[in-house]
Amino acid sequence: MERSKISVRNLELSYGAARALKNVSMEIRGCAVTALIGPSGCGKSTFLKCINRMNDFVEGVRIRGSVFLDGEDIYDRRVDTTLLRKKVGMVFQQPNPFPMSIYDNIAYGPRLHGIRGRQELDGIVEEALKGAAIFEETKDRLKKSALGLSGGQQQRLCIARALAVRPEVLLMDEPTSALDPVSTRKVEELIRNLKKKYTVVIVTHNMQQAARVCDDAAFFLAGEMVESGPGDVLFSRPKDRRTRDYVAGRFG
Amino acid sequence: MVDETTLYHKRKRPAEAFLLSAVYGAASMSVILLAGMVGYVFFKGAGTVSWSFLTTAASVLQKTSGIGGNLVNTLYIAVLTLLAAVPVGVGAAVYLNEYAKPGKLVRLVEFTTETLSGIPSVIFGLFGMVFFGETLGLGYSLLAGAFTLSLMVLPLIVRNTQEALRTVPDSYRMGALGLGASRFYMIRTILLPSAMPGILTGLILAAGRIVGESAALLFTAGSGSRLPKPGAGASDTIRRLWEKAHESGGTLAVELYLQMQNGRYETAFGIGCVLIGIVLCINLLLKLGADRLGNKA
Repeated sequence: MERSKISVRNLELSYGAARALKNVSMEIRGCAVTALIGPSGCGKSTFLKCINRMNDFVEGVRIRGSVFLDGEDIYDRRVDTTLLRKKVGMVFQQPNPFPMSIYDNIAYGPRLHGIRGRQELDGIVEEALKGAAIFEETKDRLKKSALGLSGGQQQRLCIARALAVRPEVLLMDEPTSALDPVSTRKVEELIRNLKKKYTVVIVTHNMQQAARVCDDAAFFLAGEMVESGPGDVLFSRPKDRRTRDYVAGRFG
Repeated sequence: MVDETTLYHKRKRPAEAFLLSAVYGAASMSVILLAGMVGYVFFKGAGTVSWSFLTTAASVLQKTSGIGGNLVNTLYIAVLTLLAAVPVGVGAAVYLNEYAKPGKLVRLVEFTTETLSGIPSVIFGLFGMVFFGETLGLGYSLLAGAFTLSLMVLPLIVRNTQEALRTVPDSYRMGALGLGASRFYMIRTILLPSAMPGILTGLILAAGRIVGESAALLFTAGSGSRLPKPGAGASDTIRRLWEKAHESGGTLAVELYLQMQNGRYETAFGIGCVLIGIVLCINLLLKLGADRLGNKA
């Protein structure tokens, strides 16, 4: 078996007295799409945010266990979270472009990481917009406010913004739940393309979507990772009864 | 029983009509009173206002009775006050909203700033005179006045900045942090620009209070009205400005008070006109600025 890009060992997370993740261990392959499925409140989004330490900003969170990225524990004291989040980018549920121009949105990350050269930035912006399949729609209005784009375009812009820092892993938290079907299809197509270069981990409520885009899948329930494996196996021949019930639509 | 086969039953409701006319009356009264007062001040004072009134300082020797010195003092004190109050106020608001854990301390600080904004300005004057004037040895000076005023306008700036920061969506914060931005970088590049309209509102409201204040300044900045001479060259100008900051200087509002005290009502009304003009400009600026910034994003 090839070496995992991300390897999670005995991850525990609690808010005060509530345990949101219970002893989760799983392997995530590189250059593949891994879908996290499960009912609301099962901990899949919380788990996703553990992979780039976005939970650090939540009040009263305690985390134990380890998450290895290419063999390095991201919860080690020596980790620079800026560098971590450069390698592990994130796309949120609601498109959240900054209130600035399309160009400045994309250039925000590179500038943050110290790239100032005009030409270099131009190149990165174009590459990122192309990578997120939104270049054609925006190339003539790069100086216009990003808030003028449609919801679907905004979400692809946010994906481009994440790509502009040249991450290795892309975390997506229900990236299409706020989008219409046409935009959703475009984003799904994009996700399938992204895995050529990136490791994608996507949280989704939509089982059909998971089946359409994923290589691997993991099923979460009440803070536990019940079952994980290749997507086609998990959806057609799940081992655990709870997974079978959920996939068959019997609860959740 | 009302016949319900038709809708045409509109009735007159006397109580409603009465209430309506009462609120109309109240509304027009407030406008008329205000317009009347402003009009009266202009009627009495406009004749006094002239170019030489605005540009010369009062002098027995040269037989001039202008307010040029006070005008300069007013602007200078406004700039000094804002220079002192804005960084502290914005910094405090950023700390309270972005760094401090919500709890007793934050509530205490918020309660304190709120109380501070309700304290009569004479008390600021008293404190400023004793603390800045005597303890810190600034005497009657523009600097002492500006420090006193910055305490007074601090709550305005803190409050408005906080309000503005609260309206910035959390998704902006998460977006920036998710790209690897440090908190400070995120605040500098996303939050403060987004909150700028609110910060400006606080700043301009503060400017309005500074221009109109007399009680807090009478015993801190004093009543000097000397018109400064322009410096020769940049370094000389800076030196003169620095010296000027340590001199006593009365703002327009203070001068107005003194003129009234001496029974020179014509000059007082003239100053009144100028002050109303300045406040009007400030309010227009506020509206223009807020509209432009609001539409930009």
